[in-house]
Amino acid sequence: MNAIFLALFALSAGLLLVRDPAAFLPALLEGAGKAVSLGLTLAAVYVVWLGFLRVAEDAGLVRGLARGVRPLTSRLFATRNAAALDAAAVNLTANFLGMGSAATPAGLSAMKLLGSTERPDYARAMLFAVNCAGVQLLPTTALAVRMEAGSAQPYDIVLPALLASLSALLMGACLTLLLYRVHAPRTARGRKRTDKADRA
Amino acid sequence: MKWAAMLVPLLFLGVFLFAALRRVKVYDSFAEGAAGALPLLKNLFPYIAAVLVLAELFEASGLSACLQTALSPAFAAVGIPPEIAPLVLIKPFSGSGSTALLADLCARYGADSTIARCACVVYATGDTVFYLSAVWYAGAPKRPALPVVIALVSNLFAFCVGCLLCRIL
Repeated sequence: MNAIFLALFALSAGLLLVRDPAAFLPALLEGAGKAVSLGLTLAAVYVVWLGFLRVAEDAGLVRGLARGVRPLTSRLFATRNAAALDAAAVNLTANFLGMGSAATPAGLSAMKLLGSTERPDYARAMLFAVNCAGVQLLPTTALAVRMEAGSAQPYDIVLPALLASLSALLMGACLTLLLYRVHAPRTARGRKRTDKADRA
Repeated sequence: MKWAAMLVPLLFLGVFLFAALRRVKVYDSFAEGAAGALPLLKNLFPYIAAVLVLAELFEASGLSACLQTALSPAFAAVGIPPEIAPLVLIKPFSGSGSTALLADLCARYGADSTIARCACVVYATGDTVFYLSAVWYAGAPKRPALPVVIALVSNLFAFCVGCLLCRIL
């Protein structure tokens, strides 16, 4: 990100120096001004959703949901290691509910625990793929930004966004399954596991 | 899309009542969660500001227009509006940067335009792949390239799907 920032900044500034040097500082201030008003919007979004999510967490909803997805994760990560599966389930559930702050620690410990399962590389890659799909029940930040910009129907992006991220999930999981089957050593256990995943 | 608008109040009502049944002090709990908002913003704001300053400069210098012209055939071929090219490009690197660009696109083209809707869907789909790989594989001796490639490919595929859905839904 540092390299990109510097390169784009230098390139833009250089170009502007030739074209219209007087527009340089106004452009920077304009950008900063937009950042301030966006910051206010985001502060409001975070207050509402972080408050809500804490209530959901205290009510045990996250743990409950995580328990519910246990059979699914067991197949997905090709292991029966309970500690690893629990961490992965909490990570996935927290992500689905939009709790990034709760998802990351759980994800990191799941990464570590999955490392000691039957197929560590595959299980880690799968967890990574699922996380990168970013499936979220309600895209709260996008909704808030859209409302702030005066949308008449802010919610009409919820369904396309959910479907699109599910397609990312499907694509990522299939590719991981496919590519890591080729890489994995052809042990009897490995074959049995992938057959099972195929059926799922 | 009536159902989606009803989803939010129902969600709040359901969760709060359920929490009350489980003897959670809803008021205290909500306040505890809300307390995290300002520290979170404090962490994110400098990056959002840096990207928005850069975005404005990028726009003013005319580079943004050049990039759009250069990339528009490729983006048009897969059905993504070329105006959201910067968002698609920055997304794998920076979450706060994408938020900044999303707000900019919504303000510039109108929140209900196809461009803004596609931008919202692209924003809400997928995650910051490079950032995640740095954090998640931090403990590993060598960062494997394959998962990153898989994630980038499937996210790009999902952007195309999302923009297509925006046009038909």
